[in-house]
Formats: sequence, C-alpha cells, structure tokens
Amino acid sequence: MGLVAKARVKSPWIVHYCCSSCNGCDIEILACLTPLYDVERFGVLNIGNPKHADLLVVTGPVNKRNVRVLENIYNQMPAPKLVMAVGACACTGGVFHNCYNILGGIDKVIPVNVYVPGCAARPEAIIDGVVLALDKLSKIK
Amino acid sequence: MAGDTLIAILILLPMATAAAGLAVKDQLRRPLIIIPSAVLIAASLMLLFQVLEHGPLTFTPAPAWGSVILVLELALLAYFVYLGVVRRHVLVLGLGGLQFALFCLFKFAWLPSGFKAQPALHVDLLAVVLGLVISVVGALIVIYGLNYMDNHERHLKLSATRQHIFFFFLVGFLGAMNGVVFANSLLWLFFFWEITTLCCYHLIRHDLTAEAEQSALRALWMNLFGGVALLTGMTLTYQVSGTLSLLDLTGFGPVGPVLLLPLALFCVAGFTKAAQVPFQSWLLGAMVAPTPVSALLHSATMVKAGVYLVLRLAPAYEGTYLSALLAVFGAFVFMVASLLAISQRISKRVLAYSTIASLGLVVCLAGINTGLAIAAAVALIIFHAVTKGLLFLVVGIMEQGIHSRDIEDMEGLITRLPVISGLAILGMIVMLFVPFGVLFTKWASIQAAATPFSDLYPLAVVFLALGSAAGMVFWVRWIGRLISNVSAADAPPAEPRPEPWRSVSYLVVFSLLAGAVALSALAAPLVSSLINPTVAAMGYSPALDTAGWHLATPYGFFSPWVLFIIIALALLLPVLLVRIRPEEVQPVYLCGENQPATGPTFRSIADQATPAQTGGIYWTRTFGEQSLNTWVNGAGIVLLAALIVGVIV
Amino acid sequence: MSGFDWSVGLAALVLAPFVGGLLRGIDRKLTARMQGRIGPPIWQQFYDFFKLIGKARAATTKGSLVWIWGYLLLTMLTVFMLFAQQDLLIIFFILAFAGACLAFGAFSVRSPYSQIGAHREIMQMLSYEPILLLAVVAIFLQTGTFKVSGIFEYGQPLLFTLPLAFVAVLIALTIKLRKSPFDISASEHAHQELVRGVYTEYSGRFLALIELTHWYELVLILAFVALFWAQPLWVGVLLALAVYFLELIVDNVEARLQWNWMLSISWAAGVGLILLNIIMIEMFFGNVLRL
Ligand code: SF4
Repeated sequence: MGLVAKARVKSPWIVHYCCSSCNGCDIEILACLTPLYDVERFGVLNIGNPKHADLLVVTGPVNKRNVRVLENIYNQMPAPKLVMAVGACACTGGVFHNCYNILGGIDKVIPVNVYVPGCAARPEAIIDGVVLALDKLSKIK
Repeated sequence: MAGDTLIAILILLPMATAAAGLAVKDQLRRPLIIIPSAVLIAASLMLLFQVLEHGPLTFTPAPAWGSVILVLELALLAYFVYLGVVRRHVLVLGLGGLQFALFCLFKFAWLPSGFKAQPALHVDLLAVVLGLVISVVGALIVIYGLNYMDNHERHLKLSATRQHIFFFFLVGFLGAMNGVVFANSLLWLFFFWEITTLCCYHLIRHDLTAEAEQSALRALWMNLFGGVALLTGMTLTYQVSGTLSLLDLTGFGPVGPVLLLPLALFCVAGFTKAAQVPFQSWLLGAMVAPTPVSALLHSATMVKAGVYLVLRLAPAYEGTYLSALLAVFGAFVFMVASLLAISQRISKRVLAYSTIASLGLVVCLAGINTGLAIAAAVALIIFHAVTKGLLFLVVGIMEQGIHSRDIEDMEGLITRLPVISGLAILGMIVMLFVPFGVLFTKWASIQAAATPFSDLYPLAVVFLALGSAAGMVFWVRWIGRLISNVSAADAPPAEPRPEPWRSVSYLVVFSLLAGAVALSALAAPLVSSLINPTVAAMGYSPALDTAGWHLATPYGFFSPWVLFIIIALALLLPVLLVRIRPEEVQPVYLCGENQPATGPTFRSIADQATPAQTGGIYWTRTFGEQSLNTWVNGAGIVLLAALIVGVIV
Repeated sequence: MSGFDWSVGLAALVLAPFVGGLLRGIDRKLTARMQGRIGPPIWQQFYDFFKLIGKARAATTKGSLVWIWGYLLLTMLTVFMLFAQQDLLIIFFILAFAGACLAFGAFSVRSPYSQIGAHREIMQMLSYEPILLLAVVAIFLQTGTFKVSGIFEYGQPLLFTLPLAFVAVLIALTIKLRKSPFDISASEHAHQELVRGVYTEYSGRFLALIELTHWYELVLILAFVALFWAQPLWVGVLLALAVYFLELIVDNVEARLQWNWMLSISWAAGVGLILLNIIMIEMFFGNVLRL
C-alpha cells in the first residue's frame, strides 16, 4: 500500500477538541490556519468531525466531566489515528494540576503520540508537532 | 364472446354483484366478490383484444333500457335533493334542485320525445384502456378491501357489520365507472356520472363520524356543481348542434367556436370530478374514508373520469383558445398541488395532493393536444392508476399496523414493518424516478410542453418544471422518514414485527407493484401495442417510435429497459455486496456526548440521558395550506373564469 | 448509439476522476491564494482520496452505505450518457435520482446532523432542478432536440441566444457544486455548524466514494456549461473553466445563506431569467420549432 501510506502523510485531517483549556492554546491552533502559518499547505484540514479525522488535537487538561467526551471522540475516529496534546495543560495538567476536578494530562485517558509543550504552545511548535505526527503516521503499516 | 356481451358484463356484473351482496350472508361475501372480480378482469382483457382486432364497438341496448335509466336517473336526482333537505345543506339542496329542474326541463321540454343519441355506448381504444384500468386495478382494490374492512371494523369495534353497505357501493361503483367510459350518448354519460357521485358520497361518509359526514357533503356539493356544469353543457350542445353524441363532437376534428362553451363546461365538470383547483378540498376531505375507497375512487378510477372526459374531448377543441388555456391550467394545478404536498405530514393527504397534481398533468397534456401529449396522457393514466393505487393500499396496511397516518410516526418503519415499508419505498421510487413509467410520462410531457403548441407554452413548461421539482421533495422526504434508522451500535437490532405478508392484502400490493415495474420496463411494447393505436384512433399521429424497444420522439430518446437494467444493477449490487461487520459499527455523532442506550441518546443537563430526536421538516410556513390556499384558489378561480369568459368572447 | 459515442462515454468515465480531482485541487489552491495563503499542492485531492481509502472501515447503518454506492454509480451513468451524447432530459432525471440517493443515505441514519443535512439537500434539489430542466428546454428551443448530439449539429454557440439562461444555470451550478452562498446542506470547507451535514456519518472509504462522486459531478456540470459553446469545443472548455473560476470567486466573497434565500433567488431570478430568455427567443431569435 505504498500509495496509501504516502497519501496518509500528505493529508492529515484534524479534529480539535478543547478539554478544559484556558483557550490560549486554541487560539494558537487557529493561528496555524491563518495565512501567516497556513498548515493547509501540508494538506492539513480542520475538519471538525471525528469520523472524518486522522489527528486528534487536544488542548487543556482532562477533567471529570469531559473525560467521556474525549474518549468518545477518540473512539469515533477510524484507525489509523494519532493524538497530539497541545500545551502544558494537555501534556501534564499544567497550571490546573491537582485541581479538584482535574484528572491531569490527556494521556491519563487516551494514548498520546505527540506532546507539544508550551503555555501557550507557539504555532511554530504546533506545526513542528504536526510534522512529527506525520513522521509517526508514515511508520504505521 | 360478442363485444356486446362483454360490455354488458363489464357494466352490469358489478352492479348485480353489489345488489346480491346486500342479500347474502357475511360468510358468503368473499366468494361473491372474488369470483366476479376475476370475471371482470377477464372480460376487460377480452374486450381489449376485440377492440384491438376489430376496431371500436358500438352498442345500443334495447329501448326499454332507456326508460329504466330515465326512471333511475330521476330517482337519483330526486335523492340528491332529498339529501340536501335531510342534511340541511344549502349548497347540496340548491345544486341538487337546480340539477333536477334542469334535467326535467331538458329531457321533457327541450328534447323532442323519442330523441336518441345513437349509439348509446361506443367502446374505442381510449375507453377500453380506461376500462382495463378500472376493471383490473379496481377488482384488485376491491379484493384488498375484504381484509381491510375486517380489520377496520375490528379496530372500530362495531357491534353490527356495515360491510354489506360498503361493498354495495364499492363494487357497484365499478359498473358505473365502466359505464362512464363506455358511454357515447351524453345522457348515458350523465347518468353514470351521477351514480359515481352517489357512490362517492356514501363511501366517504361510511364511517359516519362527524368529519366523515362533513367531508362527504362537501364532496357531494362540489360534484353536483360538476353535474350542473355537465348538464348545462349538454343542453347547450343540443341547442347548438342538435346532437348528444360524443362521437359527433369529436369525430370531425375541431368544432366551431359556438360549441366551445359547452366543451368548456364539460371540462369544468371534469375538473370537479378530478378535484382540480379550486375544487381540491373535497378530495382532501375524502381521505377520511377507508383506504380502499381512497385507492379506488380517489386515485385510481373515479377522479380519472374527470380527466377522461377532458381527454376524450381533446380532438374537438384542438388548436383553440380553450386548449391553450387548459394546458396552462393543468400545469398550474400540477405545480400548486405538488407545492402544497410539501407541507403535508398526513400520508393520505400527501397522496391526495400528488393525485391532484398528476390529474392536473393529464389536463395539461390534453390541452397541449399533440400526438405526443395525448400519448403521454394515456400512459400517465395507466401508470398513475397502478402506482398510486398501490401506494394507497400500502398506506392502508401501514395504518392498520401502526394506527397512524402521520408520516412522522413512520420514522424508521423499515425495521418495524420491513415488507410493507420496502413495498412502499419501491412504489415511491416507481412514482418518482427514471426509468419507471411515471417518469417516462414526465419526460414526454416536458417535451410536449416545450414544443410551441400555443403562445402560452412558456408558462406551461415553467409550471411543469417547478412542479416536478416539488414532487421530488415530498416523496424523497417520505422515503427518508421510512428508512431513517438508528445505528446498529445504538440499539439492539429492531425486532421486525410479524407481518401477515402472505395475506390477500399483501398479495394485491405485490401484484400491483410487479405490474408497475413490468409495465415500466416494457414501456416500449406497451406504447407500440396500446398507446400508439389509442392515439391514432383519436385522430392524432403517434409521435413515439418504439424500434428496438426504445422510446424515441422526434426530439429525444429514452431506452427504458437498458436504463432499467443499469439502474437496477447500480442499486441492487451494493445491497448484495456491501457488508458491515459487527466490529465496524459505530454510534452516530452526537458531539461526543453519546450515552449507550437504545437509540441515539446523549447526555444533557445534569447528565440526564436524552434521546436524540429527529423529525421531518415540512416547511409549513412557506408551503402550508394556510399561507398558500388563498392564492392558489384565487388563481384557480381566475384561470377558470378566463377559460369560460375567453370561450364566450 | 454509435461505437464512437460508446468510446467517448467510456473514456469520459475513466478520465473524469482525474480531471475532476485536479480541478478540485486547483480550486483549493486558488482559494488559498485568494486568501493570501500558499495552499495545498494541486493534487491534494488525490492524497485525500487515497488516505481515506486506507482508513479502517466504520459505518452506522447498512442503508446509508448502499445509497452512497447508488449515488456514485448513477452519477457515473449521467457522465457516461452526457459524453455519449444522449437525451439531456433523461440525464438530468438520473442526476436527480443520484442526488436523491445522497439524501437517502443521509436520511437512513438517525443522526441529527445528517438528517438536517438531508432536508437541506432536498431543498437544494427543489431550487436547482427547475433551472436545469428549463435550461434544457431553452436549449431545445434553439436546437430542436433534447439530445446532446443536436447541440453539436447546431453549429452556432448557444450562448449568443441563451445568455440569460446561462446566467440562470450559473445559479444552479453554485448550488450543485456546493459553493457559498448556497452550500447549505454540507459545507465544503471548515464551516462547521452542520459538521458537514449529509456526510456526517460517513468515514473512510465511503467518504472517498463521495469525493469521487463529486469529481464526476464537477465534470458533468462543467461539460454541461461547455455545451453552451459547443462549436468550436475548445472555447466551450475555456468557458467552463472561466465559469468555475467565477464560482470560486463567488464562493470566497459570499457568506452562506439560509434555505429560503436560496429558494427565492433560484426561483425568482433563475427561473425568471430563463422565462425571459424563452420570451426573447420567441420575439427576436425565432424558435426553430415554428417552421
Ligand atoms: S497550556 Fe497554557 S495556554 Fe494552553 S491551555 Fe494550558 S494554560 Fe492555557
């Protein structure tokens, strides 16, 4: 399946889920779509529907209320799929660490392939993360 | 068998059966109805072959029959007046009285005694095609009615059965209907016409609810209005031309301008019977009747009598102002009825509006008045009778299965009542899409309307295009509601209800569907063996070429059987080949808040499990009766007035 | 149908996905450029397609998958028939069936998003169907036949006598190509209020099938536009490309509209323009059928 494997790397569609972030990272993700950064040149589309997506981009820490939503969205994505945690919160819980309602980073709930640190993560870093994710995607057989 | 005997059988046998049905016990009703039905079908087929082989038959019964009919007719007209008095209905009383007075004056004062319109009956190909539709589809619907009425009465918990009355009118109606299409003398036509009005009235009020009574009276006065128009037209025809024979009117090509007014009146009579705008309300009200009635009278046959009359007279008004306006009027009705149907969620009302639309299309085609248009009209009458009859019967079965006529209650019916829903979906596809028969007629009618038959053709063709798009909306949505299904991941696979699919009712539906599909696939042989000769017999040059079983007009080309095979493959192969493994099944997308439960359910406020509800959209504010009816009826009245006034001027 | 017609039709079936996919890629590239972005490579659509093919299968109901196959196969049939120069009316009737299949596919899942999408889809059909049918009628009034072959025999470009009908067809195209302002049943881009409407419940290879169907549809529609300048055909092709470019600009400058706007614009303006054009034909150009 050389063709499919090649195509996979060229066309990662993203579903973006905001767990309980402060919205700082979300804004940076949207910045990636703007003319300045334009991730669509890598074939990235912000598709908004887990059933169509290849890459789940999560911002913010997971809390008790939205853990099931996160799981559900992850489960509705058809394989092969990758998860990218964007921002310190999504990676570890960040500033929300040890809050009464917070479970921690999203890797407590679903497997994470790429961690993009930063508070907020810069668009460059996010694009770096996407490229890393693509690299991992190319290794999926 | 001689043609005369066959004609007599077709008219008298149903009436005799009806009368006998009043007398016999309930247990005997089945054989009593099924056997004559079979005879009726056989007789109509034999008559068809006779006419195909030997040309039109004419037949005048012994003079004694004339007196019998006169007596019955007077009794009937008096009965209408009586109904007006008893039911305290001013319009029925007024129109009934007017009809009675006019008829007496005409028959006894103006018409010389002993006047006979010769021949009384004339069976040409058009009549025999209609007769075939009436006898075959009619007999099937009557047979279906046997089971239906048993269930119906069980559901209503009646103490004493009223089925004998029901079948008296239903079966007797078939004879009257055959009479209407076979009649040549206008006097005979009028007689049978009035009998159908009578049957219609009694069958609508059969359940005796207040709503049924009211609808029946509305149907009665509107049909009486048509009767008055028919009678007036008849009187005028006689005054102007001294004849009362349809053959004389249509035999010699276009008539002179003086005869146009009576012809216009005949058309108005036809419009009342065919429930054309602004008379559509009676047909919608008539939907309270038991479903076999709706299938038989209000879609397959009786309403066809109206368009039959318009079509039969088409050669007489060819090329006149009347013809041009009829085309626009018919196309207009086609459009508005289709638009109004969009807003309807009661299944039978959708069917009623779509029936009105189809009849409007026939009127339009009669008005276009070219060989192609007349061929399309005849084909549409056949295909529409089979398909719409089928759909009514299907709705009847569904209604008894789920005790509702509401399309919203049919959501996902395909899992609950798979057989009947499948039949319904197929029936609607036959109604709506290429390569099936109804679409063939639509193809032909757009072609016919696009040829400049008169200066008004752009209007007609625009109405047709808008109407046919509107038709798409309500059929597609209805199918959509039927197949709307929860994901297998959301619910345990729905238990299909046990369906009595071996019963007679299902058998009738199956055979109608098979008939519709077979006729569609074999549209070309049907055209070459039946429709083209009919068109030729009416004096038009047949415009459809059927070489190689393709259908070709001078302007276009359509190959039903080739497309039939391709499209059947395109839809059936996926059904057979697409497989879903259980592990591939997913619940629907509900923003990640899915809650495992039966049916799509999401977590709402305070984590309550809330079922995700979906419903059909009916766009009532745009297409609803409330917002459109005034305009529609107004425009309809204006068009009718233009028809009459234009003819006089 | 001659052997030539057959071969052209079959060739179109084979080539249409490449042309359609490439055009969609150019569409995305140009859109990006209009927005001051670099944009994806022009064969991006093919990457997307093959990626989707390679995804794991997932489905909600069997019905939805069956109908989507019907959507693809019937659309392919229309492409074949158009290039094999068959009857335009029949082609558009089959196209309507194909469109209905898409709606059926969305209807057959009880999902709020796809159900709303399906209803909007049939509203779109109500909007563009009459325009397409009447455009065919207008062509008929000039060429005297409903067959595509008649347009080639006609000789003179139809655009000269059918300018208004052409404009009306553009309105229908905007709907059929799912471009703003009329992309109401399923937004092509990341407008997400319907989560892609009729396509919500499809994933993986079934989404790829839909994409493939869109390519066929695009070719069909542009080929229909090209018929307005059939002699010489290369002008027609340029015309079609220009129209596509115009649609792109409209797509990028327009916001999405509600269905009732779509309906009133397409019925009042679209149907009205064609009616006007038919009257123009009658008054100035002469109707070929009145000999
Ligand atoms: S990492 Fe920083 S910017 Fe991002 S969500 Fe957490 S707090 Fe907000």
